[in-house]
Amino acid sequence: MPALLEVADLVTAYGKIEALKGVTLEVAEGGITCLLGPNGAGKTTLMYSIAGILKPRRGSIRLRGEELGGCAPHEAVSRGIALVPENRLVFPSMSVIDNLEAGAYRRQGGRTGRGEIDADLQRMFGRFPRLKERSAQLAGTLSGGEQQMLAVARALMSRPKLLLMDEPSLGLAPLVVEEIFRIVSELHRDGTTVFLVEQNAHMALKVAQHFYLMEQGRVSFSGDPGSLAEDEVIRRAYLGSAK
Amino acid sequence: MLADLVQNTLDGLAAGSAYALLAVGFTLIFGVLRRVNLCYGPAIMLGCYAATFVHLSFGAGLLVLALVCVLASVLAGGYVERLCFAPHRKGSGIAAMVASFALWMQLEEVAILALPKHLYPFPALYDGKPIDLAGFTIRVEALVMLGAASVVCAALWWVLYRTRFGIAARAVIDSPLAAELSGISVPRVSMGVFALASAIGGLAGFLVSASFEQVTPMLGMWSTFKGLLAMMLGGLGSLPGAVAGALVLGLVEAHSQWFLGPQLRDLLAFLMLFMLLAIGPRWMTTR
Repeated sequence: MPALLEVADLVTAYGKIEALKGVTLEVAEGGITCLLGPNGAGKTTLMYSIAGILKPRRGSIRLRGEELGGCAPHEAVSRGIALVPENRLVFPSMSVIDNLEAGAYRRQGGRTGRGEIDADLQRMFGRFPRLKERSAQLAGTLSGGEQQMLAVARALMSRPKLLLMDEPSLGLAPLVVEEIFRIVSELHRDGTTVFLVEQNAHMALKVAQHFYLMEQGRVSFSGDPGSLAEDEVIRRAYLGSAK
Repeated sequence: MLADLVQNTLDGLAAGSAYALLAVGFTLIFGVLRRVNLCYGPAIMLGCYAATFVHLSFGAGLLVLALVCVLASVLAGGYVERLCFAPHRKGSGIAAMVASFALWMQLEEVAILALPKHLYPFPALYDGKPIDLAGFTIRVEALVMLGAASVVCAALWWVLYRTRFGIAARAVIDSPLAAELSGISVPRVSMGVFALASAIGGLAGFLVSASFEQVTPMLGMWSTFKGLLAMMLGGLGSLPGAVAGALVLGLVEAHSQWFLGPQLRDLLAFLMLFMLLAIGPRWMTTR
């Protein structure tokens, strides 16, 4: 598969401290790519750099060959990148439906007709029936799992080419985590490209086709699920010692 | 006694509706920037000075003056935003607040240089007789203020809850980071909200000037204080709270002025704020 996203030699720093020390990786079009790594490895920094929240110091980020590095976050959304951020970050005092409208912000008032956005809203309600039941409710009153669904749906409302997900299972009950991963694989089946940051390697192994491991701002492993399970160090750190 | 109570309540609601406009503008700016804009009032004062200047030079009518007030307040507000808040968007809130204080001094000096007398007359909102209704005198300008404030609040609600800009504005108020990730340009929306708040403030300034029939450089400080006080009474950051806080402030002032005298009026308003802060600081942070 051709690469949808190519990150090359990316360096992002907070002041003098380099959180990313030259990261190079690819995300295949139409696939699920998973990024593993301990806390503080720079995973969220990488996500924020791709989404335009953080400005990389060096290196390049290309989406279908077009350079993205350094563009503003709303520009990145226009180019087809949507991030479901860590801790969900829904708009707590806005209703569920207004959260979704905000996700479609760049498509409104322009060439996209209102009808198309309404159709997408209905599609989201079809995929996430709980959100439909609660469409008038304030997002801050939803449960953690429902907020995660809302964050995913909000990101999808921008019709992204690439969906970035930063630890979607964080702090959620096992059953809810399973539902999140079911949705990730459904999205994959529908042709969405997903780049997933995850600590839950067991769940990620069930859905992802390619894995990267990041440690201290560098990519230290790249491979398919088979080679991931064979790697002694990774197995011990992320899958428990049992083979 | 009862007649006094009713009369004071009417006057209090009229003053409160002007405060409500100021407080709503303040709250919008506080909401998108999380910064206190001390120069909010002085920008409005400059707008009213621009209108006075137009009135003195061309003898323009009330509607034109209202328009000049609003436009000049938006321009002055934009100047404040560019100079005080845009450079400190991700930086220090204290730096932005101090900068807005510096601009306050600057705008006051500009007003005094342009129109050096301390006091200028402003055309009256209404110079006919008050309406007599069941023994109560109702000042027409009070009715105009109440009506204008209601219309502006309804229009603002419509903008915030029924338009694309409103969704973006509320998103920025809720979470700037999530708004950016949703494709909303936070600097641009913040500027739009700033302009909207300045326009509302300009209208409030026009109503106040026309009902006092004068402008002085003190209007700047007056607007900042009344707006800030009403916003804080209403619980900091909530628009309905700001309106409620403003009406309470207007009512308390009107009644205390009548029963306790003008010296105690302002004292009581600040005492009320002090008690709120002392009794329940959590009031300030809940929305």
